[in-house]
Amino acid sequence: MNISPLATLFGKAIYGHRPMFASLELTYACNLHCKYCYNPVDRKGQEREKKAERPRQKPLSYEEIIDLQNQLRDMGVFYFTLTGGEPLLHPRFWDIARAAKDRAFALRIFTNATLVDEEAADRLHDLCPYCLEITVHGATPETAEAVTGVSGSFEKQQAALSRLRDRGVRVFMKCTVTRLLEKELPQIKAMADRFGFPIYFDPVITLSDDGCEYPLRYAASDDAIRSLYTTGGINLGNSPFERTPGEMNCTVATGNLHIDPFGNLQPCVQWKESIDNIRNRPVAEIWETNPRLKQIREMNAKVLEDIKGATPHYDFCLHCPGLSLLRYGDPTRPEEQYLRVARIRSEIRDAGNGAPDGLPEPSEGGG
Amino acid sequence: MSDSVEYTKNPDVSWRTVEGQAVLIHNRLGEIQVLNEVGTFVWEHFDEGMETVAGKIAETYGIPVDTARNDLLDFFKELLESGALVEAPPENA
Repeated sequence: MNISPLATLFGKAIYGHRPMFASLELTYACNLHCKYCYNPVDRKGQEREKKAERPRQKPLSYEEIIDLQNQLRDMGVFYFTLTGGEPLLHPRFWDIARAAKDRAFALRIFTNATLVDEEAADRLHDLCPYCLEITVHGATPETAEAVTGVSGSFEKQQAALSRLRDRGVRVFMKCTVTRLLEKELPQIKAMADRFGFPIYFDPVITLSDDGCEYPLRYAASDDAIRSLYTTGGINLGNSPFERTPGEMNCTVATGNLHIDPFGNLQPCVQWKESIDNIRNRPVAEIWETNPRLKQIREMNAKVLEDIKGATPHYDFCLHCPGLSLLRYGDPTRPEEQYLRVARIRSEIRDAGNGAPDGLPEPSEGGG
Repeated sequence: MSDSVEYTKNPDVSWRTVEGQAVLIHNRLGEIQVLNEVGTFVWEHFDEGMETVAGKIAETYGIPVDTARNDLLDFFKELLESGALVEAPPENA
């Protein structure tokens, strides 16, 4: 096995519970209304089981965010992600992003890119983040707008992708595979290829941060998921960085930490339990002394054995304890979507040459 | 590597120390470069100039200054090729 020097360093750091990844949700505000968005806020057109509660805390101020960045830098955090909502809507986005670059983070920005006009594209080029990670919602205006609920979102994103490509900004595209867009998977892949950006397909949908299950209504079909695993050259997962291929477990509370817009510290972006608030005490103190974080680390170290007992397809079964916690209240219980993916992958393996065909060649259209 | 040209750290490359090793983030290229112990030492002291760094390496690692200087030149070539170093703009630019 060829292990990169960086992976070796990260392994050492994470083994010692020194976080390498931190993410900050700058805001829950967004200019799109994606039907399966997991933010705990009401968005137009969503079919929530219950209305989202209004936050009672104040969002972090600019000064608090800068102080947070200083603390994360001093803790040795390497990858720092600005996310949302749509982070570009934050009134101090550019100052915050520049501050992150000045602190030598490998800066990742999660955005829908629809606000990236010529000026913003120039600023992103000058900012030179490590990467933008852009979620795409379809290969046609009709599909994308059915997902985002916003007329013109597709054209705006396409224009932004062109601007970013022309300026050499490093982009990863991401696609949550849902039934809303599953018929366009080949076209979406072709679209990414035309732009020259890698694309990652994620067959797992995240519940709402407040536990509502409406996003699951849009779960993709077995056939769509099967096509992902029977097609060559498809990147799978929600990120090129956070899990190496074939890695089953995650680094919740060991290599990851997450901060919501109000300063609540969570063990990762998926584990929506507020451990403490960074206004109460320094991040490093929370990280090193919080008893709940210690519990989570101990749980996570054992969870692989639980998966082995839960499915005959464990060779293929990823596990996200945060998602399981959200869905079942039990971080060790394997989550149904991951079990389904594992079953489909086992079926493909067992079928051998009889496996269904993968993504057909795209016919036409699609951005 | 030209003797008449000054070199500087590429402003598009950020860096930090992870577990005692310098990790260079080539933001424009999307690449990450990990330096070994000596490379980290050199990178951290780069701004002090070639002769000073060569002297410090010779002293720290118990090797002749000439050897240290030659090794440094090879290392700087590697850093130039990777894009971690670039030509410095003229002082009056």
